[in-house]
Amino acid sequence: MQVGIGYVENLIFILMGIVSLTSIPFVILAVKSRDLLMAVIYSAVQSTLYSLLLFLLLAPDIVLVYVAVSVGLLPLLTILLVKKVGRYEA
Amino acid sequence: MFLITIASLYLNIAISIYGVIAKPNLVKKFIALTIAQDSINTVAILMGYRVWREAILQPPILLSWSPSPKDLQDFMNRAVDPLPQALVLTAIVIGLAVNIFLVSTILHLYRHFKTVDMDEISKLKRGAIVEETA
Repeated sequence: MQVGIGYVENLIFILMGIVSLTSIPFVILAVKSRDLLMAVIYSAVQSTLYSLLLFLLLAPDIVLVYVAVSVGLLPLLTILLVKKVGRYEA
Repeated sequence: MFLITIASLYLNIAISIYGVIAKPNLVKKFIALTIAQDSINTVAILMGYRVWREAILQPPILLSWSPSPKDLQDFMNRAVDPLPQALVLTAIVIGLAVNIFLVSTILHLYRHFKTVDMDEISKLKRGAIVEETA
């Protein structure tokens, strides 16, 4: 056993905990917000945090697909939909 | 901290399913549904995770072309489970197709009813049915 391994392991776990705790307020804001454009942006921030979490969980192949789909394509599509439908929830 | 990760993912699933059920706006329902989808995929990845105790920063790959039995043993001990990753990779791509279908459905509903509020849509539908049967 090498020295200092427990420290790195705990660091990765602490990073995972911080990232997943930070994603909770963004999910709440995305569900609560009356402004649909801001809700889309909050959900994109949540997706970015999830991609970091997936990278820490040793799944880099998922990250490659997930970033393109869930941070790039879906917010673009939803913003186009919001532009057609109207920005503010009644 | 690992327990906090699991608990916060479950909390995210709960909040987004509340958003799908309770919010009347269809676009808001769609956003909450994508968040629920991502959280469930991340929980599936989390199930296949394993801590490799020896040196966690080295990637879980075979390092030589002709591995000895000890190398294979080490690899088996340190690799994460690839089955949830394959399932999630497929689920993300299929989910993209389903989401595009949902967006086009919401757009058609908006063009038909001139609103995306689900309460308004059910009122209009009820009015249309009463008008037809009267």
